[in-house]
Parts: sequence; structure tokens; C-alpha cells
Amino acid sequence: MNDLRLSVLSHTLCALLCTLYAVSPAQALSGREVYERVHEVRARSLDRQTEATMVLFDRGGGKRTRTLREYSKKADPEAYKVLIVFQSPPDLKNVGLLIHARTFSDRALWAYFPEYKRVRRIATTAQDDPFFGSDFSFDDFGGPPNLDDYAFSVEREEVIDGRVCSVVAVTPNVRRKYTKYLAWVAKDLWIQLKVEYYRDREVYRTGAFRDVRMVDGIPTPFRAEMVNSKSGHRTELTIERIRYRTRFPDDLFTQQSLERAGR
Amino acid sequence: MSRHTGRLLVFLLLGMLSASSTFADDSLTSSGQLRLRGVDARYDDSVQEPPSLTGRLVLDAIGSAWRFHSWIEGGWDGTAHDPAQHSSLLKSFNKVYQNNSPFLEFKELALSHTAGNLDLRMGIQRFAWGRLDEYPPNDLLNPWDYTRFLVKPIEDRKIGVPSLAATLRGSDWSYDAVWIPFLVPYRFPVPAERWFGRSAASALSRSPTVEFTPREPDLPPRTIANGNIALRARHTGDIDWAVSLYHGYDPRPVFKTTTFVVTQHAGRTVIDPGYVPDFHKITALGVDGAGILGDLSIRAEAVYIANRHFNIREELWGYPLFPRSGSYSLNPIGAASGSLDYGVGADYRLFEEALLTVQLQQTFILDRPETLYARQRETVLWAHLRVGLLNQKVETTVGFAYNPEHGDSMAKANVWYLFSDAWKAGLSGVTFTGPSQSIFGRYAKNDELGAELVYSW
Repeated sequence: MNDLRLSVLSHTLCALLCTLYAVSPAQALSGREVYERVHEVRARSLDRQTEATMVLFDRGGGKRTRTLREYSKKADPEAYKVLIVFQSPPDLKNVGLLIHARTFSDRALWAYFPEYKRVRRIATTAQDDPFFGSDFSFDDFGGPPNLDDYAFSVEREEVIDGRVCSVVAVTPNVRRKYTKYLAWVAKDLWIQLKVEYYRDREVYRTGAFRDVRMVDGIPTPFRAEMVNSKSGHRTELTIERIRYRTRFPDDLFTQQSLERAGR
Repeated sequence: MSRHTGRLLVFLLLGMLSASSTFADDSLTSSGQLRLRGVDARYDDSVQEPPSLTGRLVLDAIGSAWRFHSWIEGGWDGTAHDPAQHSSLLKSFNKVYQNNSPFLEFKELALSHTAGNLDLRMGIQRFAWGRLDEYPPNDLLNPWDYTRFLVKPIEDRKIGVPSLAATLRGSDWSYDAVWIPFLVPYRFPVPAERWFGRSAASALSRSPTVEFTPREPDLPPRTIANGNIALRARHTGDIDWAVSLYHGYDPRPVFKTTTFVVTQHAGRTVIDPGYVPDFHKITALGVDGAGILGDLSIRAEAVYIANRHFNIREELWGYPLFPRSGSYSLNPIGAASGSLDYGVGADYRLFEEALLTVQLQQTFILDRPETLYARQRETVLWAHLRVGLLNQKVETTVGFAYNPEHGDSMAKANVWYLFSDAWKAGLSGVTFTGPSQSIFGRYAKNDELGAELVYSW
């Protein structure tokens, strides 16, 4: 009888400990740890080729459609390189953007405008500016950020599209054009499903990432939407095709390649 | 080629333009533009222009190692006042004065081959060396068409030149070599056209009883020794920089005098103005760079040019005060000197959709004779503000340029409304002030308002 009691007690204790272990604050991930996982997923997705359609909607219902192609690669010992080239509309055709990230916090950006046949350097401080008139920023098309440049704190948990998300407040320690952002990070995928960018206490840009599919083991949102709360503009980005584990040569990511639209 | 055949070809080209589209297959792409432009000249004594209808067709065919690229422009050019009746439809590589309308021009028509890190390109090409806008001092490979040149983007001014080019690519370095086997001269409007600028010739040529007949120059023989060569090494890093060397003909206009001749023919006064474009070889050693300084994107360049030629002040050319029928010898008008051209420019984003570009350029004439109109140091300040509004449905640009040495300036503005990805319409205006021999003052009678409708695909 005593053995039975001991056994029940030990099982109960074990179950209790397991439950406590599962919900223990010591075991709940910190904001930084959440973003280390996000960083790991984003870093895995860096070798890729993407074809996407971007639709810009204005407040009056008018829309402009742009198609673009993106190539990226991990570039050890550097961080990564990205080349983006517009395929349409005609006034943006072959306009391109080249990013060389020497580290995750040190990037050089160049843009090419066929109208002038010249490559222009873009100030790194412009990375939060609109990406060619859209509601996305140049930074949205870069790789993962340097985690040391931010402070992270988990605010709460919420469910989005049936997925449990950690809501993390991310505050930059470096000069950015936003004061912080709140990110809803899916705990089973370690990707952001929603982001709110703040200037002081006001949300000025809200992003949503949907239609998440696993491609080569990498969770990939096929639809992204960014809304500018102040202007009423919004931009939808739809991935038409994506391929991971590409092994592009370094000379795809040069200024000469940018001038030739990556061809 | 007869004018009827020419018109048919232009119609065919415009038909091709409107029928073509981007091919689904990436190996063959086309794009193009149709542009209808009307201009209202603001001065009564300036030449009025009929509307222009022009188009462009850009074709690219890309194989694994080979690539074909062509950029054709054509149509009816309203700036061509009283177009030449029997001229060729195709723009020529041999003539300075070309007022053919309709016209066709191959801005680019080139075949390129890639073998490892080496790119070879052969054909009609436009190059863009240097970093600055408007007048990059190191951009010497293509001559310009000076019709509307101050209101056109720099790439539209350039005349494609037959050439052979090679680029050797490394990780941080790349090397370019260009050979242009013969001189392609710049192009000028004829005196009766508005963009000839302010001069006695342009004023006289508007008289119905006066015919101005500027003479074509004798171009240098097409020999190997008369080709142009250029070399450049580029480095990519925190600061992108390049050094370049050019040896060849100066693409900037300069004249020499011949004989000023006034004759009477069939009740008209026919005038040979007595000067022709003159071509001299120069050697240019240049350096350019671009980098980031805080919120600014900075670029700069400088070039030393040996044996550059300039013209003396027009009042010293020796024209008779009261010319009658006859021949008059004019004075020599050229002066050679080394020069140093340099400038710096910066982009600054004022707010999300507003980009301000400022630029300062100077030319320093090392051994300037007193007879030149140009001062020893000539400065041009440029400022451009580009603002996108309503989600970039409205695009506005305001530009200002000022030459403090002579007090001349140019201000221009345009606003475009984008109806769709294919259609846009724009209004523009430009005004010039200053003395008649200054950079901008030369066009002080060219103030205009313009309207354009553009279809792109």
C-alpha cells in the first residue's frame, strides 16, 4: 500500500515537476533567445532565388504592379549578399538594388538606374526608407539584423492564424527611423507573422505575413502585406516562385552584374 | 533612301513598338516607349516647334555566353525646323548638322560575349564613366547631341559610337578597355532651330530672305592612329573608386574659323558663317569615387586634360560690322591649354519620398589667355529635388543651375501624373537667364512650357 502511495506520489510529483518545468519562467525563452531562433531560420533562408509580385495600393483604390527577382547568398566570412532586379513595370525595368553585408550590422547598398546608366551608393541610414515607393523598406529586403544592435523583451503570447506567438518588443540601440517594433513570432516556426513599427508611441507601419509553407524545410510566408497607417497606402508582396539552397557565384553580386540586371 | 520609304520604315517601327511586349522567356526581352511632346516657346522671336512623336525599342537576346542588345529610337522630331528634304532616314556618324525628320537612330546595337571573368562587347555603344550628374568630367567616350541637351537626361544626349570594349572582372577590382576606331562628331542644331542658341546667326537665319549654310567639317581620316582609346580600373569597397585614362578626340565642341562669305542668290542672302567644328586630340587622366558620409551619399571626380582647346570671345572673331556681299577672313579663334575639371555631388533624403541632389563643378584652365570668354575658374552649382506624391502617382522634379562667374542660370520643373503602369502625362517648364556667351545665357530665348504623353511597355 505504501509502495502504491509512493508510486502515485512519485508519478504526481513527476507530472507536477514536468508541468512546472514546462511553464517555468527560467525555461521560457527570453526575447533575445526568441530572436536567436528567428535569426537562425533567416540565415538558413539566405541562399535563395525568389520571383515576386508587388502590388501598391493607394488610398483611392488605385494600384500599381511591380514584378521583381531576388538573388541572395550567404557570403562567409561576410554575412550575405543580395541582388534585386525589377522586371516590370517599364519605368522600373532593370532598376536594381545590391546589398553587401560585411557583417549583420555593416551593409553597403547600391542602386542602379538604367535611365542614368550609373550605379549610386545609398546611405545606410536610408535602409528604413520606402523600397522604390512601396510600403516595405530597404531593410525588409535585407538579411537578418545584428542582434547586438537591439534590446528584446517578451511582452505576452498571442495566437495568430492558429499559431502561438511570442510578442516581442524590439528596441534598436542604434539610430533607426523607428523607435521600436513589436513582432509576433510563431513559436513553432520561428518566423514573424506580424510586425508593428512604432515612432514614439504611434504605430506607423504594420506588416502581416501569411500563407506560410515549408519549402526545403524552411518556413516561408508566400504573402506579405505592409500597411502605412499614416498615408493609408498598403503593399502586397506575393512570392510566385522560390528556390532555396542555391549556390550562386560571387560575380552575380557585383556592380557589373547590377548594371546587367543580373544577367 | 527616299522620304516615302523612310516614313514607311518609321511607321513599321512604331507598329513594332506597339505590338511587341516582354517575352515570357527570359532569353528574349523587349521594351519600349512612345512619346508625344508639344512645346510652347515663351518668346515671340523664338522658333515655334511642331509636336514630336518619337519612339524607342529596346531588344535583348541572351544566350549562355552571348548577348545581343539593341536600342533604336525614331520618329518625327519637332525640333528639326524645316527638315532636310533628301537626307537619310538614319542618323549619320559623319555629320554635325543633322535635321532629318523622320529619323531612325541606333543608340546601341552591340553583341557581347562572356568568357569566364572577361566580357567583350562590340558594336554601337554608350558608356557611362565618372560619377557626377549632368557633366561628368570623366565621361568622354560618347559625343553629345546638343539639341535640347540641357533639358534632356544625360544618357539621351549621348550618341552611340561604334566601339570594341572589354571588361575583366575580379572580386574587388575590375578593368575596362575601350577602343573607338574613328571619330564620331557631336551634333548641333542648324542656325534656324531654336536650340542653336542665341547668336547673330540664329537671329539672321529667321529672316525669310537670309539663308545660313553652316559647313560640315572635314573629319580626321579613319586610320588606326585616329582612334580613341580609354582604360579604367575600378575598385569596390567602403569607398568605390576608379582611375581612368582617355586618349582621343575631345567630345566637347570647339570651332575654327574659315572664311565668312556673303552672297546673293535668287533674291536671297546666303551666308557661310565662316566657322566649322574643330577636332583635337586630348589626353585625360581622371579619378572618381563614391562613398557614404552619415546620411549623405557622396560622389566626386576630377580629371586633368592635356591639350584642350577653347574658343576666344565671339567679339574677337573678326566679323565685319556691316557685311556686304563678299568674302571676309576671320581671326584664329582657338587657344590650347591644360585644364583641371573636378566636382563633388551628394544625395540627401529630406523625407521618405523626397531626394535632394546637390552638385558643385569647376573647370580650372591652367594657361588661360586673356582672350577667352571662360574665366580661369568656371563654376556650376546644381540642385535637384525629386518628390514623389500620392504613392508615387505624381512625380515632381525641380532643378536649378547657376554659374556665378557670369551670373547665368537655368531653372526647370516638371510634374508627371501616372495614370497606370503604361501611361503617364507630364507638364514641364524651363527658363534661362544670363549673357549670350555663357553656358545657360546662350539659351536665354529658349524658355518653354511643354506637355508630354508617354506610353511605355
